[in-house]
Amino acid sequence: MNACRQYLSRFISVCLVSGGILGVMGCSPPNTEHQQPNGIIYCSEGNPASFNPQLDTSGTTVDVSSHQIYDRLLDFDLITGEIVPGLASSWSTSADGLTYTFQLRKDIAFHSTAYFTPSRSFDADDVVFSFNRWRDENHPYHDVSGGRYPYINSVGLDDLIGSIERINRYRVEVTLVRPESSFLANLATDFSIILSAEYAKQLQAAGTPELIDTQPIGTGPFKFNSFRQDRFVRFDAHTEYWRERSTTEQLIFDITPSSSLRLAKLMTGECDAMAFPTHSQLDVIRKRKELILDEKPGLNVGFWAFNTSKPPFNNPQVRRALALAIDKNAILEAIYFGSAIPAASIIPPSSWAFQPDSRNTSFNPLEATRLLRENGVEEGFSMTIWAMPVERAYNPNAMKMAELMQRYLRDVGINANIISYEWSTFRARLNQGLHDSVLIGWSADNGDPDNFFRPLLTCAAIDSGTNRARWCSKEYDTLIDKALTYTDQEDRAYFYSKAIELISQEMPLMPIAHAFRYQAYRDDVTGIEINPYGGIQFRNVSKP
Amino acid sequence: MPRLNLYQEEFYPSPIQNTWKEFKENHAAVVSLYCVIFFIFIMIFGPFLAPFDPLQQHIDFLLVPPAWDNNGDISHLFGTDGLGRDMLSRILYGCRMTFGISLLLVVVSMLIGVALGAMAGMSKGFRSSMVNHLLDSIMAIPTLLIAIIIIAIVGTGLVNSMWAISLALIPQFIHQTRDIVRQKMKKEYVLAAQLDGAGKVHIFFNSILPNMAEMLVVQVTLALSVAILDISALGFLNLGAQAPSPELGALLSEGLSTAYVTPWNIALPGAAIFFMMMSINLVGDGLRSALRYRLLR
Amino acid sequence: MLRIMLRHISLLILTLFILSFFSFSLAYLFPGDPLVNLTGIRDSSEQTYALLAQQYAMNDSLFSQYWHYVNNLFSGNWGLSFSSGLPLAEEISRSLAASVELSAYALIISFVIGLPLGFLSGLRHHKFIDYSLLSASVIGYSIPVFWAALIAILLFSVQLGWFPLSGRISLLYDIPYDTGFILIDILLSDVPDKEFAFQDALRHLVLPSVSIAIVTSTIVLRITRRSVVEVMNSEYIQAAYARGLSPRQVFVRHGIKNALIPILPLLVMQFTTLLTNAMIVETIFSWPGIGNGLIQAIYQRDFPAIRAGMLAVSALVLTFTITSDMVIQIFDPARRRPEDATS
Repeated sequence: MNACRQYLSRFISVCLVSGGILGVMGCSPPNTEHQQPNGIIYCSEGNPASFNPQLDTSGTTVDVSSHQIYDRLLDFDLITGEIVPGLASSWSTSADGLTYTFQLRKDIAFHSTAYFTPSRSFDADDVVFSFNRWRDENHPYHDVSGGRYPYINSVGLDDLIGSIERINRYRVEVTLVRPESSFLANLATDFSIILSAEYAKQLQAAGTPELIDTQPIGTGPFKFNSFRQDRFVRFDAHTEYWRERSTTEQLIFDITPSSSLRLAKLMTGECDAMAFPTHSQLDVIRKRKELILDEKPGLNVGFWAFNTSKPPFNNPQVRRALALAIDKNAILEAIYFGSAIPAASIIPPSSWAFQPDSRNTSFNPLEATRLLRENGVEEGFSMTIWAMPVERAYNPNAMKMAELMQRYLRDVGINANIISYEWSTFRARLNQGLHDSVLIGWSADNGDPDNFFRPLLTCAAIDSGTNRARWCSKEYDTLIDKALTYTDQEDRAYFYSKAIELISQEMPLMPIAHAFRYQAYRDDVTGIEINPYGGIQFRNVSKP
Repeated sequence: MPRLNLYQEEFYPSPIQNTWKEFKENHAAVVSLYCVIFFIFIMIFGPFLAPFDPLQQHIDFLLVPPAWDNNGDISHLFGTDGLGRDMLSRILYGCRMTFGISLLLVVVSMLIGVALGAMAGMSKGFRSSMVNHLLDSIMAIPTLLIAIIIIAIVGTGLVNSMWAISLALIPQFIHQTRDIVRQKMKKEYVLAAQLDGAGKVHIFFNSILPNMAEMLVVQVTLALSVAILDISALGFLNLGAQAPSPELGALLSEGLSTAYVTPWNIALPGAAIFFMMMSINLVGDGLRSALRYRLLR
Repeated sequence: MLRIMLRHISLLILTLFILSFFSFSLAYLFPGDPLVNLTGIRDSSEQTYALLAQQYAMNDSLFSQYWHYVNNLFSGNWGLSFSSGLPLAEEISRSLAASVELSAYALIISFVIGLPLGFLSGLRHHKFIDYSLLSASVIGYSIPVFWAALIAILLFSVQLGWFPLSGRISLLYDIPYDTGFILIDILLSDVPDKEFAFQDALRHLVLPSVSIAIVTSTIVLRITRRSVVEVMNSEYIQAAYARGLSPRQVFVRHGIKNALIPILPLLVMQFTTLLTNAMIVETIFSWPGIGNGLIQAIYQRDFPAIRAGMLAVSALVLTFTITSDMVIQIFDPARRRPEDATS
């Protein structure tokens, strides 16, 4: 009998305790946000490959590091696109356009974190160190973390700079080997960040130089706290930041690869802003009262690049035929849901180098079949389409696009196999040139059209891994180089129009679309602006 | 085992007839039996019923809601997905795949499991005791976990997931068969057959198997619902059937990418799995209680 | 009793031995260099490679390699994950704790729902309420758990906004890792708004634990119901009625205890089903548990993580079942197997 009571009382107490827990859950008000600690959560799309954008051009790395942890000598004005002072308060150019002198700001504090306490503020040594890391192949830090600086190599910045000198503590002089009109614009891109020379020295003494890219130190508005793979990146406010910044105490990147989950989190308020809303989600976001959707024409292009180093894709006729086989308008409808404009060339209409009269390929499967057979591509030929596994503004769903194209290619007698890997593996294998063709694209890092022409299709960009078509044409390279020796826009535009013509003849890639850029966030968040020239900025973002 | 009531009037129903009589009393179970027959029908004739090819993309009909919605279109009864593929066709093919594969897996695992279980049950001594204990331990691991582990080793894909699930299902059949065979081996009629000089194989097929057929059917319904759940769960987790395949779990995970725009792309494939499992579970339940009542009588 | 313990302990050791050997052989079965699959250290310099080879005795016989592997396992050296580069022993103990925590709360919820309803249904055997509960339970255990979770998210998170849908706690709270159980960690920590953090963690728990509990509580209900029906039909209950006790007295004095004892072991066994369901649900709710981790590792072909994760999960499940089986057999002689009954 006693045992029986014991059981019963235990049973009841379990019920009560659990009931209590349920009660607490039930009673708690559905929205307790005002009691939460002060901070912004941004749902990002993937793991950063590094915390140093010098090493990686992927938007994921840039978003998490460029404008959060670091500053640049120069910046772009987000509205006008003009180059404005950053860490350099002013600069001057010599008459021959070869020597640039930068005057640096004083009393700019580096981050003070659990792993580093700076003893001095920012000065010329940091600038020289940051440049020499990618410029000087004998620099002790050059080969740390791989020794490849994709953006800088692709635009040739390392070869352009002849020397960089410290004049005094706050003055730096850069000498170029030839005048180049895009030099200042390149210094304002996401990749020309300034590292701490003092931190580098400390790490080198400790024998762990590679930490400079995984436990970063910069002068930016947020300092690195912690990173857990597939989970989050945590930043704290850099309270001594030199520019105006919001009072946000924490910035958290919540790593959420699935776009539908990001949207769901945005709806429930678990995120304050989300990366890359897909085009099918835009209407949902517009319909929800508490969500805001900003849109701007983007400086980007999505394309289908053929691996021109492999037969039969080394034949321009075959490439043209493949391009003719695809109905671009259907793709625009199905993948971009109309929120993009068809691309006739690699240059978007918002750039001054845009050629309004450049011809767009039409959809003509019959002509495509004829061309293919004429050039020895028989019925049943099979090829691979590599579809990138992440969403980008220029291609919100490469997998789906590849599936659509598979169907069009079947109509001209080609079996297309879709291939995709995890993002960093994907890019590594692309660099080895294992693909037949790839669906990928490019977002500009600055407003200069050179930023499209050079990284996408010049010979030098094959090695730096941005020329996915692996197309190399001396004629094209000469045109692009020549354009840079002129400063007048009209002169440059002439060469660019020649280059565009060459591309549409040779068809190393099929341009697909220039997409709008979108930014979705909750209505209580202020200060988020689309940066047309690259990574997201959280400096002014705040939430009541 | 069957304690037949000798005084049942005039007509002496066989045990199986008795079970069927009990089963028929249970209306829910009978309805679900019809459902199961319906799913079998879809499995066989699905391709003739489906209005479209499950992979055909209708570019002009993207994300169309189901026909009962205001914006729906009658030509796509269940709407379409993000690539304009007809959901009704995809679900019909999906039912066919999920149900058909599960049935196949269960039959294969049953054959292997019963064979091994019969051997274990009829042999004695240390070997069978070892096997018993190891089996008991393996039985404790849920099949899905075993399947995930096997897939982790051999890699993802529909065929691999099929191997994994049938491997994971086998122990249950071994266990069940072994227990029943052991039980029956002690019966007088088995002893009688042994005294008549019948061999082990003969005894198993003539004396034991007929007596365990019903239990086996119950076990098959259990295994079938487990197999459906597992194959669709693996498809959902992208470990089993891969993207363009209309397997119901894969369909569900594809629907996820547009979940908040088109909730029906999640709701419908999930509901199909749910109905499939429910009808099989109800039939299994009905059979089990019918057996229990027959044995009690 | 000693015999039971010995039998179970030897069985446990045997199965763990098989498991560890199996996980060791995985290093050879997976593509790539076995040493890299064991250590998870890729692109190492020749020097470190030689050092590691020595540590794992890669140049000795397979048996010696296995021996060193087990030694490394016991000293907490499980290798590094390919994808994150962090030590697996720590990663896995963290995620295992998260999974166990989720499963435990789901189990509590299933008991709270399943047991009383099971009693109710059993006592009203073949009445309307019994039938309705029974049909509800069929619905409950036929719902695929991943679908239930998705529907719950659509309804309660996205539509109604009542509960969050991902993770264990809002990322704004930086709770230091201590025991791995988030609720306990919050209580132990010194974050400023402890009670809010606690509340936030509870709200994160609701949807995942309830969607797991849907299936388990129906199983608990059915097991309880069956047991209650059997007990209430048994002769000693009839005898109790004959002694003139009221139905209430009969149930409280004889029914509850006798119905509960035989089902407790069955209920404990549900833990493994629960853990599997938890593994699926984790991926939906981005719960940082072992299921989520293992499935991510499969996607990323992170062989060291698959090897260690598999070992950890199966070892946990087997240890749990064998130990609970032992405890049950010790305390409930009726459940002993015939071959054990002589002891």
